[in-house]
Amino acid sequence: MTPTPGIPRAALSWLLVAQALVIVPHLGHLPIWIVLLWLGCALWRIQIFRMRAAYPNALVKIVLMLIAGFAVYQSRGRLIGLDAGVVLLVAAFILKLVEMRSRRDALVLIFLGFFVVVTAYLFETGPGIALFSLLPVAVLLAAMIGLQSEGQAAKPWPTLRLAGGIMLQALPLMLLLFVFFPRMGPLWSLPTPSDRGKTGLSESMSPNDIAELSRSDELVFRATFAGTPPPRAELYWRAMTLEHFDGRRWSQAATPASRVDWQKRGEPLRYSVLMQPSEQAWLFALDVAESDEAGVYRMSDYRLQRERPIDRPLLYDVISWPEAVRDSSLSPWQLRRALQLPSQGEARSRLWAQQLRKAYPEPEALVNEVLANFNREPFVYTLRPPVLGENAIDTFLFDTRRGFCAHYAGAMVFVLRAAGIPARVVAGYQGGEPGPGARTVQVRQFDAHAWVEYWHPQRGWISVDPTFQVAPERIELGLEAAVAEEQSFLEDSPFSPLRYRQYGWLNQLRLALDELDHGWQNWVLNYQATQQQGLFERLLGKDFQWRLVLALLIGGGLFLGALALLLLKPWRDGLDPAQRLHAQFERILARQGLRRLPGEGARSFADRAARELPAQAAQIRAFSGLYQAQCYAGRSVAPSVLRHSLKRLRRALPWRLPGRGGK
Amino acid sequence: MRNRLDQVLATINQVVLGKQGQVRLALACLLARGHLLIEDLPGMGKTTLSQALARVLGLSYQRIQFTSDLLPGDILGTSVFDRDSGQFIFHPGPIFAELVLADEINRATPKSQSALLEAMEEGQVTIEGATRPLPDPFFVIATQNPASQGGTFALPESQLDRFLMRLSLGYPARAAEKSLLLGEARRDLLPRMQPLLDHAELASMQAAVATVRVSDALVDYVLRLVEATRSQPQFGLGLSPRGSLALLGAARAWAFLEGRDYVIPEDVQAVLPSVAGHRLRDQADPGSHGGGALVQWLLREVPAL
Repeated sequence: MTPTPGIPRAALSWLLVAQALVIVPHLGHLPIWIVLLWLGCALWRIQIFRMRAAYPNALVKIVLMLIAGFAVYQSRGRLIGLDAGVVLLVAAFILKLVEMRSRRDALVLIFLGFFVVVTAYLFETGPGIALFSLLPVAVLLAAMIGLQSEGQAAKPWPTLRLAGGIMLQALPLMLLLFVFFPRMGPLWSLPTPSDRGKTGLSESMSPNDIAELSRSDELVFRATFAGTPPPRAELYWRAMTLEHFDGRRWSQAATPASRVDWQKRGEPLRYSVLMQPSEQAWLFALDVAESDEAGVYRMSDYRLQRERPIDRPLLYDVISWPEAVRDSSLSPWQLRRALQLPSQGEARSRLWAQQLRKAYPEPEALVNEVLANFNREPFVYTLRPPVLGENAIDTFLFDTRRGFCAHYAGAMVFVLRAAGIPARVVAGYQGGEPGPGARTVQVRQFDAHAWVEYWHPQRGWISVDPTFQVAPERIELGLEAAVAEEQSFLEDSPFSPLRYRQYGWLNQLRLALDELDHGWQNWVLNYQATQQQGLFERLLGKDFQWRLVLALLIGGGLFLGALALLLLKPWRDGLDPAQRLHAQFERILARQGLRRLPGEGARSFADRAARELPAQAAQIRAFSGLYQAQCYAGRSVAPSVLRHSLKRLRRALPWRLPGRGGK
Repeated sequence: MRNRLDQVLATINQVVLGKQGQVRLALACLLARGHLLIEDLPGMGKTTLSQALARVLGLSYQRIQFTSDLLPGDILGTSVFDRDSGQFIFHPGPIFAELVLADEINRATPKSQSALLEAMEEGQVTIEGATRPLPDPFFVIATQNPASQGGTFALPESQLDRFLMRLSLGYPARAAEKSLLLGEARRDLLPRMQPLLDHAELASMQAAVATVRVSDALVDYVLRLVEATRSQPQFGLGLSPRGSLALLGAARAWAFLEGRDYVIPEDVQAVLPSVAGHRLRDQADPGSHGGGALVQWLLREVPAL
């Protein structure tokens, strides 16, 4: 067996560092035993290098592989799927370390490392991780350099500098590919990593869900208005309506109606929304929203819905008509749906509804009385409501009187329906923090809100918010102000930067980071097929295809030309006419199969040529002699003399010598 | 003048058989006013070559056998008290000769080596406060055994740099060795050799060498060579400016021997192995001075035009 070249010390050190750096961004979603596996394998590998341990034999390898596979199965419940697949990949990446014997194995490990770096983007797409991944890539390149030249890699800084230089050289190509590479739809759909389906609104609502959301400061979306954003109290971002009540939970109606009947009124609001992946299909918009985006539909309850769940940041433009009139008439089954109640339970509420109905025949007056009741009675807005058992609405309305938006909205819709007024719960987000740049509003999970819509026979659906009666500061200032007294704002996340908004510079820093993240999403992650096409159209006009091809050809040609100029430096020669003529002389002889070697001087070359071409020896020597006289002896020979001599040589030579022509 | 030089070469070649190239380089070294280091195994004709040079050029000759107990005084000379005059009288050492053969220089201790090498560089020696000029011409031929042999003190770079050229004679060719074995003993031939040049002629030749024309294009080639030794990764040490001056000087002498009054790249290439070989170091083998492969690389890869 021929000995395979081993892995030099420097390369191994680089490789270990690179592996650690590659794994670090994955730590958030990897089981903890991966770290132990890495430590074990790294130690083993170092011992192998120090000749204190042996390479694993086939049996040990198989056992290790089975153990790793079993551990993945144990921690993820399966072996296939994106999440388990990545764990398996990382485990294999680590195990490869101990069976790495030759340079070839080390190269495999390095290439695998590049792939593992990329898989981190499946879980995390922020600018931070993108910036960080430059580090493992640089160190992987350094390991590659270390494999090639040992002497170089022993000095860490020059090696890293070289790796950085390589990355810098790749930068223009990367930008070019980013801008111009065609964006294709996914060829197959990947199941999402399990921890991506995080907090957010779901298709049904119980008060607990909203309480859950209020603990999260995760960003839901950013809206950027064309003009000044409306005041906070008017920002009711609709996600969906909940029409079916089963006594405990509110949920979406089973069959959505398709008929929509509304009239535009008043001034429209124009804005665009950059939405974080929610794994749900609905979009967020102010009432009543219209959007021209492909694949976005408005449903009968005036929510915007997309064909596919939003699994990556999505940017869409919306026009909203806040004063529009919705559904001035309802079909009988729509009415039935908006009046649906469980057949039993909540006796006190039903009784109160009957009394209200008698006292206030006008729906508007009845609604106002219900709202006024929330204001009048000692209701308390709190994120820590007491537990409600059976007949939750009765208990809430008449006994505990402590709760938050979902309690108020649910109870109010129940009472309105019991009083014969069609009503439904709207779930979505309310308010939002003004972002940097005054025209942006950032909405986070804790802005989740539920409010009420009731139907008026002449004026259609009208939105009211019982929470406003209880805690107007929730609507006008946001959740933090509403729960300031009980200090339950983000009480589970002590390190959330949002808790420290009172410190000015910290808040500035947070807003700046948000802005960076926003830009990253807007310009980098969201640069998809549509945006690409838009950019090309803006740059090259409507009919851009052939112009794009032309621009790429010209651009590529210019780039290659500049590169050729830089490398070949044609301005270097040609300064001296004698040199240029000698180059011509060499070309003439090259046609005869005689090439001057780089280190060959004029005389030796002429001697060799004269030996090879005895018939033309005199002319060759004559030219070379003149050239040497000009260049070295300091006798100035006129270029015309040299040229003349060259011409004589050319005449003496056949165009191609028989038998040597093909060389 | 050219004829006389050819004659000189022919005469030496009668004694040192089959080494025309080395003899020519040695003469070029002398014409360029440089000192010569011959590195070879014992018994290859180093001494014969130096003696032949001394006789043919009519130079006074001294040989110093370097051993590990040689002292600087043994080279430079000492003052001895003279009872008759009651004074210290200086007795010049063997260094006060026009051609000095320092045999097996690397067997001596660094202290003694320096004594010789300083004299080589300065052209004068200072003993007991008095500075005494060395004769002119002053030419040192040092021989050394390959460094791998036992009992040697390798010359440091700074001192290797003082030698214009380093030559290696090598085994003679079969035909040359045959005539050597059949013919008269070489040592016996030496006393019969007649001086062919006198001091004035040698001095005028050395002066003529210095006027050999060096064109811009040629200096550019020398600079390309020197830059390659400084920038290419395989070179552990680049050539110093003294090295590039030495290269140019030796190339001038070579061109003069060729009968030209201008230098062409081929002259530089002819002297490059012996001028640069001992000044270069391979990056991968920093301990040795085996610049042979590096010099071959320079000759092959550095553009001559």
